[in-house]
Amino acid sequence: MSNSSKGWGIAVAACVGLWMIQNGSGEITPPVPSAAQAFAAGPSVHTDAAADPLPPSPPVRLRIPEIDVDTPMTGLGLDGSGALEVPPAEDRNLAGWYENGTKPGAKGTAIVAGHVDNAQGPAVFYALGALKKGHRIEVDRQDGRTAVFTIDAIEVYEKDRFPDAKVYGEADRAEIRVITCGGGFSRKSGGYQGNVVAFGHLIGVR
Amino acid sequence: MRRTPVPLLTGTALAVVALGALAAPTAYANGDPQGDSRKESHQGSHSLEVFPSSADPGTTVTVNTLACGKHGHGVGDANSLGAGEFQLNPSTHKEVVVGQFTVPHHAKAGTYWISVACDNGKTARGELVVKHKNPSGHVRTGIGGSVGPDHTQIAAGAAVLAAAAVGGTWLLRRRASGAQDG
Repeated sequence: MSNSSKGWGIAVAACVGLWMIQNGSGEITPPVPSAAQAFAAGPSVHTDAAADPLPPSPPVRLRIPEIDVDTPMTGLGLDGSGALEVPPAEDRNLAGWYENGTKPGAKGTAIVAGHVDNAQGPAVFYALGALKKGHRIEVDRQDGRTAVFTIDAIEVYEKDRFPDAKVYGEADRAEIRVITCGGGFSRKSGGYQGNVVAFGHLIGVR
Repeated sequence: MRRTPVPLLTGTALAVVALGALAAPTAYANGDPQGDSRKESHQGSHSLEVFPSSADPGTTVTVNTLACGKHGHGVGDANSLGAGEFQLNPSTHKEVVVGQFTVPHHAKAGTYWISVACDNGKTARGELVVKHKNPSGHVRTGIGGSVGPDHTQIAAGAAVLAAAAVGGTWLLRRRASGAQDG
């Protein structure tokens, strides 16, 4: 290699290094689902039939293999305003479920929530927005069975336009919602601007 | 093979009819419009009307029955859901006794039996389904601790830049020494 081409190589490396420093200095935020993953984006890509609901049994663990989620579950209630409580923020790998509601795998709408991040960094559902239709959610239950759900859609809602009926409403089959924060971040106006919600229905039992 | 279940079913049906026959007179005497012989026959209890039949915690539930008779009284038992005991007294319809209790906030979702013991020795039972409200509104599941500069990329960039600087210095020195030699 001639000295001149070595010089060019070094110049290119210097530019790449500078670009990486500059690019990395911008704010990175959790992944946001694309519009193609919303319900409105036409018929879903998969045709997995709904499985018969299971008898109620509390969840023990939740896995989403696609984004390396494997987390224990804790029970959640409602706060004074009727909003869902959240798991303790100190624990980065902990999801919660609404224990006065439907148990995952049973008939109805089971509600699961977890943090996208805490003060230290990314938490259990950081990558929820990177999921796509057809990905799997698995819930191990106290009765030893594992309820397997397929994702029907991932949607993003602004805080003050949260569709209660769509997310929390009753279902006549076994469904699940997995909720975390997302939809833009603003340090000036109260952090995350909304929620990312994954919608799923039961397709099998192991 | 297919015939085996038939005699079994007949036996069960006969037993149900027999129980129903025993319970039927009281059911009719109560003028129970539902005529739910299955509930009526359960331990010989009369029916207890529960309103609303499905309630969330904090709701006041009203129960009434004909079991206690005209101008009767009774004691209700809602201990199954942690609501303790309550009194039943004659209502405006004197043949009906009425009582109330409140679904406690700690009551778990599920189906509970509410029973009543009348002063006349008769008992009544009814079902109450406890359902909890759905959550409402958005969920506060993040504070932004993951938002910020990409330290890994910055470090990698700095490393590439440093390598380029070292390489550049080495190249310049070589050129300089090459020039001297030549």
